Amino acid sequence: MFYTRRDFLKAALGTSTLLSFASAAPNFLVRSVMAAAPRRKERDTVLVVVQLSGGNDGLNTVVPYEDDEYARNRPTLRLPTKELHKIDSEMGLHPRMGAFARLYKEGHLSIVQGVGYPNSDRSHEGAMRIWHTADPDQPNRQTGWLGRAIDSVWNPNKTNAPAVFVGPTARPFGLNAENAIVPSIRSLRDLMTGQMPGYSNDQSQKKHAAELPRADKGNPLLGFLQHSTLNAYTNSRRIEAVAKTAANTAEYPSLALAGSFRTVAQLIRADVGIRIFFMEFSGGGIGGFDNHANQLGNHCALLHQLSESVAAFVHDLKRDKLLDRVLLMTFSEFGRTVKENGRRGTGHGAAAPVFLAGGKLKGGLIGPRPSLTDLDNGAPKFHTDFRRVYATVLDQWLGFESRTVLDRQFEPLDVLNV
Amino acid sequence: MFCNNKPQKSMTLEKVALVLLLAVFAAQSTMAAQTLPPANQWIPQDAVISLELSQPKALLELFAGEKATAAVTALPVYQKQASTPQFKEFLNVIEFLEITLDTDWRTGLSKLTGGGITFAICPEDTLILIIDAEDEHMLEQTHEIFLNIARGEAEKQGQPNRVESTQYEDVTTWTFNGKEAHAIIGKRLVIANRPEGLKAVLELRANGASENLTSKATYQAAKRAAGPDSVATVFADLLILKNIPEIAGLLEQSSNSPLAALFFAGIVEAVRDSSWLALGLHIEDNTLLFRASVDGKTVAPTSPVAFALPSKVGDGALPNLSVPRRIAALSLYRDLHQFYAAKDDLFPERTSGLIFFENMMGIFFSGRDLTNEVLIETQPEIRLVVAEQEYDPAIGTPQIKFPAFAAIFRLRHPEQFKEVAEEAWQKAVGLINFTRGQQAMPGLIIDRPFQGKTKYTVAYFSTSGIEDKTNLDSRFNVRPALAMPGEYLILSSTDGLARDLIDALHQETEQTPKPLAGTHSLVEIEGGQLASILEANRKTLIRQNMVNKGNTQEQAESATDMLISLLKFLDRAKLGIGVHEGLTRFRLELKLNLQ
Amino acid sequence: MAVQIDKPPGQYQSGQAGPAASEKLGDPGWAWAAYQPDAWQPWNLAQAGHLFRRAAFGADWDQLQQALSDGPQRTIDKLLRPQANIAAFNREHDEYESSTASSTDSLRAWWLRRIIQTPHPLLEKMTLFWHSHFAANGAKVKNARLMQRHVQLLRSQALNSFRALLKAISRDPAVLIWLGAEANRKALPNENFARSLMEAFTLGAGHYTKKDVREAARAFTGWFVLRGQLRYISREHDGNVKQILGQKGNFTSDDVVRIVLEQPATSRTLVRKLYRWLICETAEPDPKLIAPLAQSFAKDYDVLKLVETMLRSNLFFSRVAYRRRIKCPVEFALGIVKGLEGVVSTTQLAQDLADLGQNLYSPPTVKGWTGGRHWINSATLVRRHNLAMALLRGSGPYANKLNPWAVAKKHGCSTPESAARFLLDLFLQGDLGPDVRDALLKKIQTPAAADGDDPAGTLRRFAHEIVTLPDFHLA
Repeated sequence: MFYTRRDFLKAALGTSTLLSFASAAPNFLVRSVMAAAPRRKERDTVLVVVQLSGGNDGLNTVVPYEDDEYARNRPTLRLPTKELHKIDSEMGLHPRMGAFARLYKEGHLSIVQGVGYPNSDRSHEGAMRIWHTADPDQPNRQTGWLGRAIDSVWNPNKTNAPAVFVGPTARPFGLNAENAIVPSIRSLRDLMTGQMPGYSNDQSQKKHAAELPRADKGNPLLGFLQHSTLNAYTNSRRIEAVAKTAANTAEYPSLALAGSFRTVAQLIRADVGIRIFFMEFSGGGIGGFDNHANQLGNHCALLHQLSESVAAFVHDLKRDKLLDRVLLMTFSEFGRTVKENGRRGTGHGAAAPVFLAGGKLKGGLIGPRPSLTDLDNGAPKFHTDFRRVYATVLDQWLGFESRTVLDRQFEPLDVLNV
Repeated sequence: MFCNNKPQKSMTLEKVALVLLLAVFAAQSTMAAQTLPPANQWIPQDAVISLELSQPKALLELFAGEKATAAVTALPVYQKQASTPQFKEFLNVIEFLEITLDTDWRTGLSKLTGGGITFAICPEDTLILIIDAEDEHMLEQTHEIFLNIARGEAEKQGQPNRVESTQYEDVTTWTFNGKEAHAIIGKRLVIANRPEGLKAVLELRANGASENLTSKATYQAAKRAAGPDSVATVFADLLILKNIPEIAGLLEQSSNSPLAALFFAGIVEAVRDSSWLALGLHIEDNTLLFRASVDGKTVAPTSPVAFALPSKVGDGALPNLSVPRRIAALSLYRDLHQFYAAKDDLFPERTSGLIFFENMMGIFFSGRDLTNEVLIETQPEIRLVVAEQEYDPAIGTPQIKFPAFAAIFRLRHPEQFKEVAEEAWQKAVGLINFTRGQQAMPGLIIDRPFQGKTKYTVAYFSTSGIEDKTNLDSRFNVRPALAMPGEYLILSSTDGLARDLIDALHQETEQTPKPLAGTHSLVEIEGGQLASILEANRKTLIRQNMVNKGNTQEQAESATDMLISLLKFLDRAKLGIGVHEGLTRFRLELKLNLQ
Repeated sequence: MAVQIDKPPGQYQSGQAGPAASEKLGDPGWAWAAYQPDAWQPWNLAQAGHLFRRAAFGADWDQLQQALSDGPQRTIDKLLRPQANIAAFNREHDEYESSTASSTDSLRAWWLRRIIQTPHPLLEKMTLFWHSHFAANGAKVKNARLMQRHVQLLRSQALNSFRALLKAISRDPAVLIWLGAEANRKALPNENFARSLMEAFTLGAGHYTKKDVREAARAFTGWFVLRGQLRYISREHDGNVKQILGQKGNFTSDDVVRIVLEQPATSRTLVRKLYRWLICETAEPDPKLIAPLAQSFAKDYDVLKLVETMLRSNLFFSRVAYRRRIKCPVEFALGIVKGLEGVVSTTQLAQDLADLGQNLYSPPTVKGWTGGRHWINSATLVRRHNLAMALLRGSGPYANKLNPWAVAKKHGCSTPESAARFLLDLFLQGDLGPDVRDALLKKIQTPAAADGDDPAGTLRRFAHEIVTLPDFHLA
């Protein structure tokens, strides 16, 4: 069991790899590699964004069980009050979200209600695009909000991958950047260097020729590549070390989403400088949350998978004392209509709740409960602009400047203990 | 030997050696008179897979007989390859052997292997091959020849010590490259890829009473199941094989994909429960018949996969439907209602694809419950047909020619369900049209013509505005059709196939089809028709091969033509899977076309 | 900013201007004059390698040797105006594309194959330049045929007239769909095309006003893309007077193209961008250096002439340019493939390059690929390492299409050690310092145990060590 990142890495990676540079490499190289290791002055918080594709029915996720309108509008989809995980006298979490209820009690989960934007777009593509660009006014906007955030903090001396998308589907547009290359990965292997066939095992431990010290011949690009190559191989070894040691220590349910969370946790543990992780749940095509018919069973299964996977992730990080560095947020392109549609399903809606999870949350239910009678085209209205959530995670959590990303200053929410 | 990459010289020699593994080596004259026990008694007990070819001549006759040789050498692909230097070199070696051994290659091969071939895979990647020759002298001579070649090669590379021999008890053992090890004992040649393998065999030989493969209970059971008169038999120890990660992963997969769970139901479970697999090969005329069985318990009626179990004695999949230009046909016995009702056990994780499917079904069937109101209307006999299309030049021919696909369901209450299905189908077409319209793309036109007395529905893209009708894009491969003759429902990708199926079902009903009792899956593939559709798409396949493999046009052409030629040798493949006498059995019939 | 003059070159460094030339680097007269080899700047393997990295996608051994004997001028002649029947080659490949172009996935595979096999690599190099410049994204256009025609258009004018290219671009359905400008109604002028035209395609930010965009948008009214076809509906055209960039008139779309081309900012922006593509990306060039080329380019917008001036120049063969660009993923991968004289699976390669950040037919934004240092981060370097491994390992998706040992033997090497030296010359032309070079060569003398004494395997690993060196990422 490892207690701090530094101890862990020392044990996993061994000091030898780093120290072996010391004898031969010029000083600046040793410095730059050591700098990537333990003690950093700058912020090292991590944001994990989870996209719930298809439009999550917020009303059957965070349920206003005391509201008669809920029962009246949901003749077949209504969830039985006694099975809900009540969080206060009005609201309860879906019966299969027991794991979320426990996180909520422990203070590791906050729920921001009624998140959306004016004149909600009701098409999957349009609405998702808006959540990704964070710019409802410019449907042609070329970059995603996280892509802009990454570009805004680019520094040629830091060549860690700034963000990754973890999952089997295409990389969501939210990560589209003008400059940065943001990788998509399916497993840790995608961030580890492979071994040419024919090396015997002891040779695999040896350094690559690319890591040999050399003069940069006055060419700044050569110096840059020398430095970044060294950093890349070091990062790869860290990930390899984590993959070897930590593979079986944490328990995750055998679900695709949980597998991706395990990968994210391992990358956080490897401490390779990735600040932003993006994941997609039930994506591929329109998305599993798009329940126009026979919603009950499918929605129930998805919420169960989500809460179990997130809880496993939170506990894994907590055990290794990493949770304080991590903030997770969920979003979906829209919520759904209050009234069900005759096929035991619901239509595309507007505002929906956003979940936040992590170690530095104030906890609780944030913002008032949206009315079920004063509606936006049959769906709950928003009261918290989604860009306020974005501003919160950018300014207060990542330490970026949300104004350059979102073009203007949105008021952050008071949800974090930082 | 039709390899596209230039092999280096030493590689060629190795290949020749491999081809003629069936040949080889010198013997001790002192051993000549002894009678040897059956080769399988020399196979270690821990063998994971063993293959015993008790009548190699039957196979040689089929594959190396005059007919087959004539067919192969007549191929343009063969002739092209035969003119390459590598191939000429290979032929030279063969010719040299023929002259030295004073025989022709066919007779030589037969004399060198005619006593039987036994091959085993043992733990730690150990491979053992035992060949029983008919002609001891020829075996000896052949070994001498290869010994000389190996010595020459080793010296050329400056490693003369690579070829050496040692005495193990009363046997001389050899190695040609420092890794493999072999020995000749009377008419028998024993080769192993590692010295440890040969040592194990020689120990079994010396110590006749010790435990060998034949004393293993699972081997004995498998041998009994394979039957005594097989040309060849295979035994596989599934208890060990199932632990190999790749195979374990494969068995696991069925629980991740609903379609895999549907198609492979009963099969995966049977393999999972089994300790052995037995396979026997029989040859009749030009047909290879493989019969395989595993010993796993058959699925209990309470199991989630019971939907693939014929519920009454005599029940089973129906014979396949025959239509013109049929490429493949699949007949299944699957209770879809029972299958979908057990979905949480069969594939616990709800994927977005599954949810999307349910959503769409919910919309098409106006909110009816998929399991209890839709799937319950189908009977367990399901058939699928794939056929090459015939295009009407007046309508047009697509550049890439896809085959037509159809699924045929049997309905429980055809009269009540017909309109429900028709409405659902038209809703689906309507949704497609609406979506395409939004993207300013042309839509499908619905028509309801007759085939005989059956009214069916077809939706098609119009080609009237298109000038060049010989080069249409791929969507013109699709003319979706719905037909419901009698108690059947046909869902076809083209109206042409739907019409052929209406006729085929009509004929079948007149003769009242008999289910194949106990069989739950039956696949048939027609080699010639498959070759035909590949040929129709030859240009596209060649070009795909170029970018997919990085081949030159010539390489891509010969790879494609080779595939087409090989398929033409296959007349029909037929695989039936079912439960008989408490065992899950597989029956694969390969009928060859050696005209 | 002025051109940076670096320290004198190391002894093993080739392709460098001698001390006497150092002060001339900022002098436009000297910089753009044609390079003549002399004792300080000899024509050698390094210069030949440099030329083929920039004007092509790397070279094989015969090309390098031929260049050495041809000298710089003749080599450049051949790159600019090759003898082979280019038209026939490209027609054949257009046909390949058409017969399988159901998706941009197959288009990008065919393009990569064309780049590997073309007798006119400079044409493809410039087509790639324009692809990044106009940056049409197939994922947005959603019509492979239109994307195919778009890149064909880029190719047809890649070394031709920028004026003709720009005019054709303003009528290209793929570009209009890509920019969200498929409907240009009189009542609702669409500013998307006009804005991109001024900001990204010609003038650059700061050289036009919002009003210029608004007015230009009115000139583009009447043009529509309907069901993938370009249509002009005259009643939707705004025939009134517009005022664009200081000119006033009853302008049409062609007039707008003419007007932006008359602006000096346009030729300056393009010359600067091409400078970054062909010469150097480490520092912004001195305006003094850009001015003469921009003036001459503005006269006729002849791209070939501009490219020719740059490639023949003293500056191009000076240390200002030498290894002063980071290879884009296509250059990185094809440098390996070309050097080893193979053709690989381009379907697979297109996907692997997308993972490295360069998804052909889908540039990330209207600004194309920024590239430069942005190509590089820990993840992309690991993936370059793994792609090189996949290409060189002799099995897997790329099969055994590249074989360093076989290529070395073909060119007369008989021992692993001579083959190793050959590979160093082939890929790096002796650019390595003796320390790294010796350490590398030592690896050849101690072959790995696992495959015994198989020189093919040893040379595969050696080639992999070379192409993952920091130096190899530099063009």
